[in-house]
Amino acid sequence: MSPWSTLTDPILRQNPVTLQILGICSALAVTTTLAAAATMAAALTVVIVCAAGIISLLRNHLPSSIRLIMQIIIVASLVIVVDQLLQAYFYEMSQRLSVFVSLIATNCVVLGRTESFALHNRPLPAMVDALGNGLGYSLVLVILGSLRELFGRGTLLDVEVLRTVEQGGWFEPLNLMLLAPSAFFLLGGLVWAIRSWRPEQVETSEFGLTRVKEPGP
Amino acid sequence: MMRGIWNRETVALILLAAALPVAATWLWEEGVTGGSRLLLAVIVGGLWQGLFTALRAQPPSAAGAVSALIIAMLAPQVGPLQFVLGISFGFVFGELVFGGWGRSVLSPAVVAIMFLGFGFPSAAWPVLAIQIGWATIPAALLLLAFGVLPWRVLAGALVVLVLAGGFSLDLLTSAVALALVFLVCDPATAASTSLGRWLHGALFGSLIVLFAASWDTASAQIAVSAALLASLSAPLLDEIAIALWRAVRRHRHG
Repeated sequence: MSPWSTLTDPILRQNPVTLQILGICSALAVTTTLAAAATMAAALTVVIVCAAGIISLLRNHLPSSIRLIMQIIIVASLVIVVDQLLQAYFYEMSQRLSVFVSLIATNCVVLGRTESFALHNRPLPAMVDALGNGLGYSLVLVILGSLRELFGRGTLLDVEVLRTVEQGGWFEPLNLMLLAPSAFFLLGGLVWAIRSWRPEQVETSEFGLTRVKEPGP
Repeated sequence: MMRGIWNRETVALILLAAALPVAATWLWEEGVTGGSRLLLAVIVGGLWQGLFTALRAQPPSAAGAVSALIIAMLAPQVGPLQFVLGISFGFVFGELVFGGWGRSVLSPAVVAIMFLGFGFPSAAWPVLAIQIGWATIPAALLLLAFGVLPWRVLAGALVVLVLAGGFSLDLLTSAVALALVFLVCDPATAASTSLGRWLHGALFGSLIVLFAASWDTASAQIAVSAALLASLSAPLLDEIAIALWRAVRRHRHG
C-alpha cells in the first residue's frame, strides 16, 4: 500500500470507531464538550504514533511470548507521560477527562494497531498507519463532541452559537445530549449514515428473517 | 378461514379499535389542544413510517397510529419543535431501524416519551383524568377477547399492584392503566413465554410500586419509566423462562 492510502484509509474506509467499533468507551465518555473530545483525541493520537514507532523499532527483538506485555508497558509509559503533561499544563482539562486519559493504555485502537501493524512493519509506515488511525478516531470524537456540545448547551468550544432560552434566546437545550446514551444514538446514526453511503462496510446479518411461503388456499 | 384473516394488519386494526374509546375520552377532556397534538403526532409518525416502508417496499401499516396516540397522551408538555423531534426519534430509533413494527424491542411510544422526558426535564408531565382509566377497561377487554393482549402480563401486573396497594386500586392510576394495556401488554414487545409473561407483568407492577413509594413525580413519568424498564428486560425474562424449562426437563428426563 502506498503511504498516502495507509494514512487516509483509516480515516473513512477503515475507520477504527465506525467500521471496527473499537474504542467506543472513551468516545462515549469524553464527548460532552468539544474541547474535552479534542484533547482526548490529541492525546490518543500522540500516544498511538509514538507507541507504533517504538514497537516497530523493537519488533525484531520482541519474543513473541511476551510481546503483549511489552506493548502494554510501552503504551502505558507513554500514557503516563501524556497524562503528566496534561496535568502540568492543562490542569482543569485533565481533571475533566479524569481517568479516561489513563485508560488510553487499554484502548483497543492503540493495541490493535501496534499488534496488527507495527509488529510487522518498518517504523515509518507503522507511524503513518498509527497517525491515520489516530486521525480517524479523532474525527469521530470531534463530530460527536461538536454535536453534543452544540445541542446540549448551544455552544461550541464555550462560544455561544445557539442562544438558549435561559439567555433570552429561542433554543431549548436538549439535556439528553449531555448524558451518555445520546453518544450511543449519535454514534449509531453516524455508523448508519456511513454504511448507507458505503454499503461495502455493512456486515452480514446474523439474525435475518427467512421468507415464509404464504399458506395455500 | 380464521387463519386466513389473521395477519399483521388485523392485529394492528384491533389495537386501533381498542384505542378508540380511550382516544375519544381523552379528546373529550383535552379538546382542541389535545386534538392538535394528536394530529401532529399522527402526521410526523406517519411520514416516517411512510418513508421507511416506501424505501423498503413494504405494505403500509396502521400500527403507528396507536403509538402516536399514546405519545400525544403521555408525553411531557414541550413545544411543537421538540415534540416533532421526540416523535421522530421514537419512531426511527425505537422501531424503524429494527425493521418496523413487530421487530423492535421497545414500543416507539415508550422511546419517544422517555426521550422527551430525559431531554427536557423541566417540561410538565400530563395528568390524565380518571375517566381515561375507566376507558382502558373496554380496550383491555376487547384485546383480551381477540387474544391480542397477553393475559398473563396483565394478570401478573394486576396481582402485584393490588397486593401491594393493600387490596385497593390506588396504585392503578389512569396513566399506569394506559401504560399497562398499550405499552407493557403490546404483543410486539411483551415477553413471549408463559412464565416470562407472568414475570414481565410482575416486574412492571413491582417497578410501579417502587417508583410510587420513592419517586416524587407525575404518575405518567412513573408509568412510562416502569414500562421502559419492563420492556427492556422482557427478552431476559424469556431467556430465564426457557433456561428454567430446559433445566426442569433435564432433571426429569436425564
